[in-house]
Amino acid sequence: MSAALLLAVVLAGPLDAAGIGRAVAAHRGRPVVLTLWATWCEPCVKEFPALAALARERKDVAFLSVSIDEPDDRKALEAFVAERRPPFPVYTRTPGPDQAFIDGVDREWSGVVPATLVYDREGRRVALLQGEHTRADIEKALARAKAERGAGS
Amino acid sequence: MRLPRLALVTSVGLAAAAPAIGAVAIGEKLRPFKLDDATGKTVDLGGLQGRKAVVLMFIATQCPVSNSYNERMAALSREYGAKGVAFVGINSNRQESVEEIAGHAAEHGFTFPILKDVGNVQADHFGAQVTPEIYVYDPAWVLRYHGRIDDDRSGANVKSRDLRNALDAVLAGQAVPVAETKAFGCTIKRVGR
Repeated sequence: MSAALLLAVVLAGPLDAAGIGRAVAAHRGRPVVLTLWATWCEPCVKEFPALAALARERKDVAFLSVSIDEPDDRKALEAFVAERRPPFPVYTRTPGPDQAFIDGVDREWSGVVPATLVYDREGRRVALLQGEHTRADIEKALARAKAERGAGS
Repeated sequence: MRLPRLALVTSVGLAAAAPAIGAVAIGEKLRPFKLDDATGKTVDLGGLQGRKAVVLMFIATQCPVSNSYNERMAALSREYGAKGVAFVGINSNRQESVEEIAGHAAEHGFTFPILKDVGNVQADHFGAQVTPEIYVYDPAWVLRYHGRIDDDRSGANVKSRDLRNALDAVLAGQAVPVAETKAFGCTIKRVGR
């Protein structure tokens, strides 16, 4: 298999905001961690290894990530993903107006990246972590997702 | 194992900083402040009273999104500066030094002052999250617009010139057509508290 083909298979998508909603809903029954990020975003790149490590450990959680890199940055994105080999799919974003995309993903999201959204098993968004956050913050949100499920059942 | 220790420190910092981050709302009055600009000169926003509008722009030297707007910010400040509008840049990123800010401003022909927001005090007061992020005040110092410069980072396919539209409306004494917008930008790198 050529290098180009290898690179071509590491990215999924593209997804628009509705597609992201469907991707999250497809994991109903498990908590979901959705991260929106970009290769040009320094804190996104910084938190990527911790997110990947958490995803490798937490098999009970579905991890999804969506890159908001522009089509012009696709080569940088492919190289990044090929090198890091994250244990979760990396979707690209369907080109279009930023605001419709941001609001479509979550009205409370300011558009800052990284943004990490945590959903409970029923697909309810229980946390929106905007900007730099740690693995511990995501774990806390996951604990909340579990607790809220317990409270509702 | 360095990561858990780093994570703990950062987590504590964020947890403590979170309650300090506010947000100004459309219609709210500007709370004037003083900060040193990148050349060390103190700029008092109170000195801008009487201008036809005041544009506060949270910007960065290293952010590719903010940098893609350098030419547009310089051009807008020249064009609207001639119409009595004051432009003020604010850099709240902890890792960007005043020397770097001054060099960046000279390189890109910025004629507006760029204030160094040490400790991201103003970013926290305004609730600014990204660069670039814009706040437009009218002559009565009421916030009339908050958000992006326009709707296309590349500049090639701009369909909505939001900052320009807001300024034209304020200068004409009319309602701003779209008072709040969102766009992608780089996170403002805050200090831990």
